[in-house]
Amino acid sequence: MKPTKEELAAYADGELDAARTAEIAAMVENDPDLAREVAAHRALRQQLGAHFAPILDQPVPERLTQWAKQQEPVVEPQVVDFTAKRERREQRRSLPRWTYFAAPAMAAALALALFLPRGGSDSPMADYANAQLATALDTQLAAQQGNSNSTRILISFRNHGGEYCRAFSDPEQSGIACRDNTGWRLADVGSGTSSGGATYRQAGSDYASLMAKAQDMAAGPALDASAEQEARSLNWLPRKASLDPKAGS
Amino acid sequence: MDETNRASRFIHVKARSVSDPRLGDPFEQGVLALLPRLRRFAIGLSGNTADGDDLCQMTIERALANREKWQEGTRLDSWMYRIMRNIRIDEARAVSRRQQTFVDEDAGLSVGHDGAQEATVELSNVDRAMAKLPEDQREAVLLVMVEGYAYREAAEIVDCPVGTLNSRLVRGRDALLAMLAENAP
Repeated sequence: MKPTKEELAAYADGELDAARTAEIAAMVENDPDLAREVAAHRALRQQLGAHFAPILDQPVPERLTQWAKQQEPVVEPQVVDFTAKRERREQRRSLPRWTYFAAPAMAAALALALFLPRGGSDSPMADYANAQLATALDTQLAAQQGNSNSTRILISFRNHGGEYCRAFSDPEQSGIACRDNTGWRLADVGSGTSSGGATYRQAGSDYASLMAKAQDMAAGPALDASAEQEARSLNWLPRKASLDPKAGS
Repeated sequence: MDETNRASRFIHVKARSVSDPRLGDPFEQGVLALLPRLRRFAIGLSGNTADGDDLCQMTIERALANREKWQEGTRLDSWMYRIMRNIRIDEARAVSRRQQTFVDEDAGLSVGHDGAQEATVELSNVDRAMAKLPEDQREAVLLVMVEGYAYREAAEIVDCPVGTLNSRLVRGRDALLAMLAENAP
């Protein structure tokens, strides 16, 4: 079938599918009129292209780029905004993943994040807190502790078994202790805070990893001040109705 | 502010944009990069440099005002060509004397009309022939044969079916060939 003018133009412009292109190519080859028309189309395309091409090489008049220059004065504040935004974004990104978990106790925890007091104490027992640490764990509330305490309670929570647990840090060790019927069972004990020579040292990644560990162990959000107080009044041993035959009646 | 100062400030902004990716607004960078091509299309549509640059300026202004309507990831060039074309249509509706102007100033029409570009683009039969085409044929010819768009892309820009674009192109082409043959030396 002989191509229409439209089809021939589309052929010359390479717009047809392979099958039709081949068909028309064969016809063009054997028909001087068709060949002339294709050639004329391509010649015009070339002529127009060459005619308008020099515009691309001309300098763009200033009035067309003025808008970009006019925006220059606003670039500065935008830079500041943008940088600040990025910093906020990075802060958000770098916030440790325990922030949600620790939120109720955050004020005390943040203070600890920066300065951990150093001092001396006895070595702890291998699996359970020694007397000094146990006293601190028994009595100190994360929300109310003075700088005089050598052991800091970082946060308190309940683990999946319902036990009260507390993350702590003192010069000898830091870790998490969970209260069972025997005493404060130690878990995830790491090094202490006394490695530095200064009176106060900055808590680093140990603190963050301890908090992350605490969150992993926790069954819910950390205890807030009143929940901590209540737990202390229970000697950190949860009421377990199922274990007490009288309680269920 | 003198011109040199302006130019250096502009270069400064551009250089900074390139060196610091935070400052590289992809939209503005894209528009700046498109300017030579937009300008070519505008001059082709308008028939002369001065009107073309006016059209180009209006296009940029409208694009900047509507920049939130451009979706990143879609083609900025098609979007801006479409804006330019719509401005032409708006103008044509308001003022229908443009065609008359072309005929009256036949001899004066040229891409290099304002003198500055005389050396690079001569007064040409092509300009006169293009000016006599109906607008829809002119834009089809320019989009496909000058800007190099595929039929489908050109049809999208002028918002018509591909077949319609194809037939406008052929009518425009045939008219141009006839006029150019007439004027051939």
